[in-house]
Amino acid sequence: MQNNVIKISVLFVIALLGMISIEAYAHGVDDNTRAFLEQNQGVQFIPFLYIGAKHMITGYDHLLFLVGVIFFLYRSKDVLLYVTMFTIGHSTTLLLGVLGDIQVNAYLIDAIIGFSVIYKGFDNLGGFKRCFNWQPNTKVAVLIFGLFHGFGLATKLQEFHLPEDGLITNLIAFNIGVELGQFAALIFILIAINAWRHFPSFQRFSTLTNTALMSTGVMLVGLQLTGYFIN
Amino acid sequence: MQHTVSSKTLVKASVSATIVAAIALVTLILPAEYNIDPTGVGQKLGLTEIALASETEAQPTAAGQKGTAEYQTIEVIVPAGRGVEYKFAMPQYAKMTYEWITDGEPLYFDLHGEPEGDTTGYFESYTIATNNEVKGSFTAPFAGSHGWYWKNKTDKPIAVQLIVKGEYDVIGLKK
Repeated sequence: MQNNVIKISVLFVIALLGMISIEAYAHGVDDNTRAFLEQNQGVQFIPFLYIGAKHMITGYDHLLFLVGVIFFLYRSKDVLLYVTMFTIGHSTTLLLGVLGDIQVNAYLIDAIIGFSVIYKGFDNLGGFKRCFNWQPNTKVAVLIFGLFHGFGLATKLQEFHLPEDGLITNLIAFNIGVELGQFAALIFILIAINAWRHFPSFQRFSTLTNTALMSTGVMLVGLQLTGYFIN
Repeated sequence: MQHTVSSKTLVKASVSATIVAAIALVTLILPAEYNIDPTGVGQKLGLTEIALASETEAQPTAAGQKGTAEYQTIEVIVPAGRGVEYKFAMPQYAKMTYEWITDGEPLYFDLHGEPEGDTTGYFESYTIATNNEVKGSFTAPFAGSHGWYWKNKTDKPIAVQLIVKGEYDVIGLKK
């Protein structure tokens, strides 16, 4: 049973990677997306589903945070619980942000998303226990950062000219796409981390990995804040 | 499974993470993304070219020019399989007379306007069609940015000669 699940997951991931590589090398993909969104009115369920999934799979900031979140989770129940918290968080603000037309500066939101990566890397190193002798509730933290990630998704969607016609359906399609993309990416990350967990190098490099995670987070924050100040 | 590292390791990890990130930001990321290159390393590596390329694309030579009673000619290249938007800032009731012609193939186009200060993404289309030559004029129904979205559905770039006169400030290609 377990083996079959892994086998199917691997095949799924390989098929998906095939799709990504074609997509990644195609020129002006974002431009195509923009042109598509500007030219098409009404309900476009599958296209929005696809755009949502693509955004999640190619959105390395969301993925880095998820890597941090599930790094030390080895029970499926925990993975499911934490990912659900993250999903509740980002779905809430994605829907609220677009429907309520809440305008948040994309650079600032992306900087906070970068900060969530630093936070999780630091947390994984046991930094809060060490520095403050206090461990913030990790589930609540995932939920709260999930809310910010959702605003990030909302700002991406708001950049396009989204017609009112069919907005709610398109938005739900986008959201489902985000979850599918996240699920697909998670399978890949989980397989990689779980496979690695069996080797002694996992313990040896877990400090380095989480340090690298923090470092990437600092880069993301620096990049986004610079963008905010010069624009 | 999660372990708490020693204070020494934690400080080392945090400091090295910040240093590595700072170095990467200053020498690689900021030069490539924004052409901010305090060390000059970005230029030596050719990374600032990336930022410069997108800047020149976003600001063609006509940007900032004011429209007059005389026609001015603007050349816009629409890359293969892509769409570009060329806009003009116009006050309400300002008039523009225009003519554009491609170097052959027809282009899908949407002549439209977006109200000034609008953040909802609202826009109003004046003409949508596919053609290789259009002549006309329009009066801006509201203050804002007005202009064309051209979509090239062929696999070769198409050059557009846009000839305009009227009351406007050229914004140019929009990203």
